[in-house]
Amino acid sequence: MLRVEGLSHAFRNGTETTTVLQHINFHVRQGEIVALLGSSGSGKSTLLNLMAGLMKPTEGDIYISDHNIVKMNENQLSEFRRKHIGFIFQAYELIANLTVRENVELPLVFQSVSPSIRKQKALSLLEQVGIPEKAELFPSQLSGGQQQRVSIARSLITEPSVIFADEPTGNLDTKTEEEILAILKRLNSMMKTTFVIVTHEREVAAQTQHIISLRDGYLITDRDPSDAMPLAGVTTG
Amino acid sequence: MRIGDLTRLSWDQVRRRKVVTALCAAGLSIGCAAIILALSIGESAQQYIETEMNSFFKMDEITVTANEGVSASGGQGGQASGGNPAVGDDSLDRGKLTDQKLAIMKNMKHVTAVAPFQQINYMEMSTTDNRKSYVEVIGTDLGMLEAFDKPFMNGGPSDLIGTIVLSYGATLGLADAEARDKLIEQLNRNPYDSTLVEQYEKMNRMPASLFQRQVQFLGYSNDGKVNQTSQLRVTGVLKKPKGVSENAVAYDKKAYVSLETAQMMKRELNMGRGGMADEASYNSVIVKVDSQENVEQVERQIKKLTLNTQTNLQQKERLAEQFSIIKAVALGGGVFILIIASISIVVAMTMSTYQRRRQIGIMKVLGANLAQIRNMFIFEAALLGLLGGLLGILFSYWIVWGINALIQSMSGGSQDAVIIFVPLMAIPVGMAFAILTGVISGIYPAVSASRTDALTAIRRD
Repeated sequence: MLRVEGLSHAFRNGTETTTVLQHINFHVRQGEIVALLGSSGSGKSTLLNLMAGLMKPTEGDIYISDHNIVKMNENQLSEFRRKHIGFIFQAYELIANLTVRENVELPLVFQSVSPSIRKQKALSLLEQVGIPEKAELFPSQLSGGQQQRVSIARSLITEPSVIFADEPTGNLDTKTEEEILAILKRLNSMMKTTFVIVTHEREVAAQTQHIISLRDGYLITDRDPSDAMPLAGVTTG
Repeated sequence: MRIGDLTRLSWDQVRRRKVVTALCAAGLSIGCAAIILALSIGESAQQYIETEMNSFFKMDEITVTANEGVSASGGQGGQASGGNPAVGDDSLDRGKLTDQKLAIMKNMKHVTAVAPFQQINYMEMSTTDNRKSYVEVIGTDLGMLEAFDKPFMNGGPSDLIGTIVLSYGATLGLADAEARDKLIEQLNRNPYDSTLVEQYEKMNRMPASLFQRQVQFLGYSNDGKVNQTSQLRVTGVLKKPKGVSENAVAYDKKAYVSLETAQMMKRELNMGRGGMADEASYNSVIVKVDSQENVEQVERQIKKLTLNTQTNLQQKERLAEQFSIIKAVALGGGVFILIIASISIVVAMTMSTYQRRRQIGIMKVLGANLAQIRNMFIFEAALLGLLGGLLGILFSYWIVWGINALIQSMSGGSQDAVIIFVPLMAIPVGMAFAILTGVISGIYPAVSASRTDALTAIRRD
């Protein structure tokens, strides 16, 4: 479903070049929950941005549903993101002046879906994340956990193949963190959507089926659920 | 993206960002109001002058005169044209203004009335109680006066010889000759005495009831003697003409008589034929056309009858030309203000784009493409233009109302003062300029917004 092949990335700062990712290879199956685990500066966020098509890698290919997103131009990427990719941000990133329902509907607005269908889908998803009564409130009227639920509902509205979640529980207390992870797991089993969760917390990663660990730009662990051994495939480039 | 969504999202931003909206709308409204005002003042002034001109020049009338160049016989117009020996008698009479030609003109399309109007002379008119005034005597078909926009206030035309119809102005300012002379003498001695000036003006405007009264005319014969006509009975007084100031009415003193009465008066005053053609032809005829637009067409047809024509259309064209220059200059001023306003929009919207780059980034991540982001900003700019335009229309009405109030107070409430109105076509023009300025000013911020790097925008340090 998601395939990363020979991925390397470097930033150029004047004459200095900093390599952030070194020859990464891994494969994610449809319907998995994957944790991209790593400490700060390990390159996990860069990897997420590359997989979401928000950055172009220096080297390598990324396949999502057999489409190589590295070869796409900006408009093709917009179109692809719109149909195949969902996002959950650490800081929720809801639009303050839109209601909860309108925020959830937003990705469908860019697809010119009719308002009635949008509304129906949004309300159904808000029900699935447990906040149907908050539909007409504004984000500022919700708690952090509730806002993240809205963000999850928004990521699912286009029925994407893969959802990238960047530290989705990073701003939440332990109890809310557990609730959010439970929601993600439930939705994953219901909808068979692939989730790629970027986290620095081992506890969060432990709740996923597939853990990919990074350190200093290198993939150090790729613990696939199909693997017999807990530690497999260490790539050093 | 649906238009409804585009409108809703843009309107939401316009509503939310009150300072930016107020700044942009204020600039645009001033520009829009300037354009509407420029068009309004130009149009109002043109219409005012046209109305004034029409009341003096009668734009929908054609003055037709005998073509003396081809006329060989018949009264005053009967001088040979320079003697072409080959031209026979019939040909020589071709330029005469005859009853047959009058009948043809009456039947022409768009012609509403035809009548001879022959100025006899300016004469002193005297009432039975010896009050006097100078009037212009005109020989015409009295039955046609109403067809020439000269409705009756009292009475009407009479077929009898020795009857007369007076204009409203001719009934004003009739004063005792001795009293008038005395006042004029006093005025000559003290020309700046406001009391005397006021007295004189009051005298000139004093109305007299002349309907069914008798009047007499004094005239100088060709040998210089003063002669008097017999008593003429006033069978009708015309209404005060519309749209003409009180002053102009007081100086519009006319007495209309039938052509037969005119002949009689000339005989009595020993004036000779004095411009009158022979009985079978006329020297001057006025043709009234249903609208100004058709004057040219009717004029061409009349010329085919070998007659001379004269209209005042060129006055209108000259005026229109002058006003088009004035309007263009005023419009240029309005556009200049809009250009200045557009700079404020570019600045305000670029600032707004910068402040909203995070939101733009999120939208891009959620699947908005370059065109959709661009369109949102351009739509927002168009909405600002619309708001500015609506405000501009409101401002222009207020300003016009204020100017009119000022004109009225300065003219002492006179009905003849220029009234500025907002012509209907100025509103869509002003609105279109405002929206267009909004859209053009929004292009740069929109393009700049669409180029926002989604990653940079959503990255948190």
